[in-house]
Amino acid sequence: MTKQSSFRRRPVSLLFASLFLLAPVMVSAATTAATGPTIRLFPTTVLEDIRHTGQVAEEMESGLNSIIAKLDQQQQLFVEAKCDGAEGDPGCDQIARQLGATYLEMLNVMSEGLPDMERAVMSTRNSLEKRLRTEVGKKMTPWDLQENLLGKTPAAAAKAQPAMRGRSGLRLSERFRQYYSLVASGGGAGAEQSLTVVAADIYLDMDEAAVLIARTQEEISRATLLEQLNQSFGVITPEMQEVVAGVKSILFGDFEAAAPIAGPPPGDVQQAYSSPLEM
Amino acid sequence: MKLLKIAILPAALLLLATGCATTPQPDCSLPDGKNLRVAIEVSKAQLTNGCEALYDAYFDRLLTVAEGDPKPRHKQTFSEFLEWSTDSGLLSQRQAQAYYNRYFNVKFMSLAGDYNNCSYTCPRQAEVLTRMEEELSDKEQGLLRVALDRDSYYRADQLLKETELVLAATCTACAAN
Repeated sequence: MTKQSSFRRRPVSLLFASLFLLAPVMVSAATTAATGPTIRLFPTTVLEDIRHTGQVAEEMESGLNSIIAKLDQQQQLFVEAKCDGAEGDPGCDQIARQLGATYLEMLNVMSEGLPDMERAVMSTRNSLEKRLRTEVGKKMTPWDLQENLLGKTPAAAAKAQPAMRGRSGLRLSERFRQYYSLVASGGGAGAEQSLTVVAADIYLDMDEAAVLIARTQEEISRATLLEQLNQSFGVITPEMQEVVAGVKSILFGDFEAAAPIAGPPPGDVQQAYSSPLEM
Repeated sequence: MKLLKIAILPAALLLLATGCATTPQPDCSLPDGKNLRVAIEVSKAQLTNGCEALYDAYFDRLLTVAEGDPKPRHKQTFSEFLEWSTDSGLLSQRQAQAYYNRYFNVKFMSLAGDYNNCSYTCPRQAEVLTRMEEELSDKEQGLLRVALDRDSYYRADQLLKETELVLAATCTACAAN
């Protein structure tokens, strides 16, 4: 791999990481909205920040959607015209330049959307940081934390798993649809999930995303410059194709979803015993 | 005088012989077999006859015996054995609670503390999580392999993961102050 191509590969992997990190935030936020805070971790301002972040991500998705479709068409044309390996052919060079221009357009859409997303992410992160420090860090002992996480039914197996950080497999807009429908219905799927876990999950995601977005912005600038240089030669690099494939996987989801893992066998039906020694 | 010597000498010898005799060692061989009830009775008898220093070993052996014939009601059996231990003066109430909850409760005894998380838990975060992991393996033995309480064991496992996540976030927030 050339030095140039490695430069191109990095911004995209970083951006993907950022977007994947933000996606569960929306799901978590939906859960939050569904359960209603018991300790004050999610004031209206935090939820509003999260919602705004979602809107920005959705705008970016919309912008990228049409560009990806155009890239697909150009890619198809390139293959059908048997341009692969046909260097020096004027027609193929033209298609390659068009592809490169669309690729640049994609990078521009991403770089335009990122600053706004960065502001929203930072705002959410700071609000949650303060809340977690006060409510969980200063106002709780470790035993309190344990009881808070267990809730009122410690013996019951948790039905709702905490949101998996960095989870993929859904297109962003679908995540937001779920988010809005959860807010609208005011509860449901994640109702048993501990708000403290949700808050921790979102905070860590935001913390990581803030760093990644900043780095991605720098790398996009570099990749844009390199692609502008490539425009003079009309080259389609494998890395460019990789970038596009990666963006598509975000937009349209991961279709190779893993099969669900079998749950444990059902336990014996038993009368729960409560010892006088139990704490 | 001669008569006195004849009488005293054997008496002195007898006194020496009996005086040096040691008290018999108690039989502290751990119970074996497959029957928990029998193993508990044997343990009780020996623990009250000079083997109390080996309480840990007896408790472990009883758990091993119970694993051979797991039943949900073993929770109660062990609870009663621990209560008997406090009544007999072998354990304090707090020690009995520590034993029971470590093996048969979802909650983690290693996640105890009277001070706030920022000042107490965060500086020793790794140590707390290591102790919780060790306790989880005891819960696996008690809840899962002895009492067949899968739900509670899986909840404990889940609680450990949640605690790890929440502590990571909380301690990051505390450090950022």
